[in-house]
Amino acid sequence: MGGTTRVLDCRGLHKSYGDRKAVDGVGFHIDLGETYGLLGPNGAGKTTTISMVCGLLTRDAGEVTVIGEPIDVGQIHAKRWIGYVPQDLAIYPDLTAEENLAFFGRLYGLTGKKLKARTNAVLEVTGLADRRDDKTEEYSGGMKRRLNIGIGLLHEPRLLILDEPTVGVDPQSRNAILDSVEQLSGEGMAVLYTTHYMEEAERLCDRVGIIDQGQIKAEGTRRELVELVGQRDRVRVVAEGDVDAAAAAARLVDGVEEANRSDGGIDILTNDARVILPSLLRSIADAGASVKGVDVVEPDLEAVFLHLTGKALRD
Amino acid sequence: MRAAFIIAGKDLRQRIRDRSAIIMGIIAPFALAAIFSLLLPTSQSFHTEYGVVDLDRGPVSALLTSQVLPGVVEAGFADLTEIDDRASAAAMVEGGEMGAAFVIPEGFSDAIASGRDATLTIIGNVDAALATQIAEAIATGYAEEVNAVSLSVAAALGGFTTVQPGAIADLSSRAAVFEPSILVEEAEADSKQMSDKTFYSASMAIMFLFFTAQFGILSLLSERRQGTLPRLVAAPVGPWTIVIGKALAGFVLGAVAMTVLIVASTLLLGADWGNPLGVALLALGGVVSATGVSAMAATMAKTEEQASGWNAILAMSLAVLGGTFFSLDRAPEFVSSLSLITPHAWFLRGLDELGSASGTVADALPAVGVLLVIGAATGAVGLMRARRLVVGR
Ligand SMILES: Nc1ncnc2c1ncn2[C@@H]1O[C@H](COP(=O)(O)OP(=O)(O)O)[C@@H](O)[C@H]1O
Ligand SMILES: [Mg+2]
Repeated sequence: MGGTTRVLDCRGLHKSYGDRKAVDGVGFHIDLGETYGLLGPNGAGKTTTISMVCGLLTRDAGEVTVIGEPIDVGQIHAKRWIGYVPQDLAIYPDLTAEENLAFFGRLYGLTGKKLKARTNAVLEVTGLADRRDDKTEEYSGGMKRRLNIGIGLLHEPRLLILDEPTVGVDPQSRNAILDSVEQLSGEGMAVLYTTHYMEEAERLCDRVGIIDQGQIKAEGTRRELVELVGQRDRVRVVAEGDVDAAAAAARLVDGVEEANRSDGGIDILTNDARVILPSLLRSIADAGASVKGVDVVEPDLEAVFLHLTGKALRD
Repeated sequence: MRAAFIIAGKDLRQRIRDRSAIIMGIIAPFALAAIFSLLLPTSQSFHTEYGVVDLDRGPVSALLTSQVLPGVVEAGFADLTEIDDRASAAAMVEGGEMGAAFVIPEGFSDAIASGRDATLTIIGNVDAALATQIAEAIATGYAEEVNAVSLSVAAALGGFTTVQPGAIADLSSRAAVFEPSILVEEAEADSKQMSDKTFYSASMAIMFLFFTAQFGILSLLSERRQGTLPRLVAAPVGPWTIVIGKALAGFVLGAVAMTVLIVASTLLLGADWGNPLGVALLALGGVVSATGVSAMAATMAKTEEQASGWNAILAMSLAVLGGTFFSLDRAPEFVSSLSLITPHAWFLRGLDELGSASGTVADALPAVGVLLVIGAATGAVGLMRARRLVVGR
């Protein structure tokens, strides 16, 4: 445990509202450069968990450390390592983008040239540079969202926490958000990302915690989670020529569990399509069939969620 | 602490930008003070001329002419002229040169001393009804005194009809007892030293201060509505720092509004607030109390609308009770006692003390103290509740 790469460590988080256990024993950790997803439906306890991680909310039990430093409502020093992007827009409509950034930058201790430079950088990244002097109430929804995220990046945090950042966002802005999270992660930032969109968790997250009713039901890489359910990838190869021989050859490839001739091609069951795909395709070609198309149907986290909780992610 | 200033600075920028604070804090109270002091009849303070015709020139009449009436003059609401005869006094009152005249007949002292009826006459004029009424009240009080003295003299002398010199001395010493009722009037007249312009400027300033100061803590509720509150708390800034930053913004708004109003009403309306140091201390006390009271009111509410509604009701009730609309001089005793729970009453009282003829900064200090205590007590409750609002539970 620990080491220099551990960015966030939280353990045994509990929070009840009256009789309702909003968070019931949640714990996970995030390492440098890792993107961790909390995937769960509305009301699962994602925001409550994040609120405790950020020290916004008094907790009933549990511990949170960021870069080895404890965080709580009253323990504020380590809060500087976190860039927090709330689920709802958190910008001042009557201030300009630049004023919003300058205000939050100062709260994080940025001043003078450094503040100016970071403000400019964020305005650039969010594409708001030419609207910097306009009040944010005049912005489009997408612009507000971008600024909302930009404020979280302003002080160059070690851990970026995004709470359902794509809810209510048009597809284009949504893509831009996902791209930038991927980029930041690639630059080594640790990210905690909550969502109820399975595709986002699959695309962005190195590891995912599946959360429901205040508990993490399962955790791991996408593959680990899927294996938990015992599902396999289904690869469908569209082929012409000697398809029967090709199917027989495919069956011999390491990692293939089943390969059956179907009309127009071969249906293959494997536990990791991505790994075996190159040798699979070579075997098929060597057997005298020409491949016209490949379609990999991976079991998804939706299926995992269904398996774990008996219900769908989205209601 | 640096962060508290950053938060307060941001809030002030927002308040200046939306102009609500400027309107509430400066424009509205100044306009009302100007309207009141320019349109309402100036000065209810009363002044008249009294004449006295002393045909007796005895020891009993001297009590009136050299003690009672000079007391009235000293109290500042009448001037006194000696007139030789009754006919010219009547003419002067008739002609409006005099509000009323006292006529002491010849042999008045002797009559009193020997227990006979004696009549003191007031010549009045219906056109100067108030002056006449006051003259009658003075004469009646005087007569009661004299009667009481002559009765006690009669008793002491066991029915003798001649007044001994000692009895007269006794009479003068009773005159001293008469004085307190004059002193009461004097105190009332003294409180009128705050001119109408000053009174309206001061009362509008303190009333609207309770609207201005609310913008401090109230903005916590707008931060919560806007979703920016969690972002503030997520920053490396303690919950108290946030609360103090908010309260500081309210305090600064209140202090600036107060200062502008004092300067503007002095320069433009001709208000005379009094000793600058005393006024500054009272204004400070007023701003602290308004910040505290409105912090408490704001944190009792769930939404901004509710909070400003409650604050408005509280501000208006305190203003009315505190005598910012009507001077409490003539209010029943219990109302003026009750008014002392309001910062407004203490603020006005402090200015009154400061403005009285012999007023010094020290005279305003009790009121300043009470204002600071009210502010500290309500502010402690308000800030504690505000902290609970900042930290999610
Ligand atoms: N302040 C609160 N008071 C009462 N219940 C709350 C409060 N905040 C959250 N909850 C409840 O806690 C549960 C988890 O909520 P939340 O963490 O917001 O879920 P998510 O972010 O996953 O949608 C929900 O049942 C919600 O109703
Ligand atoms: Mg949520």
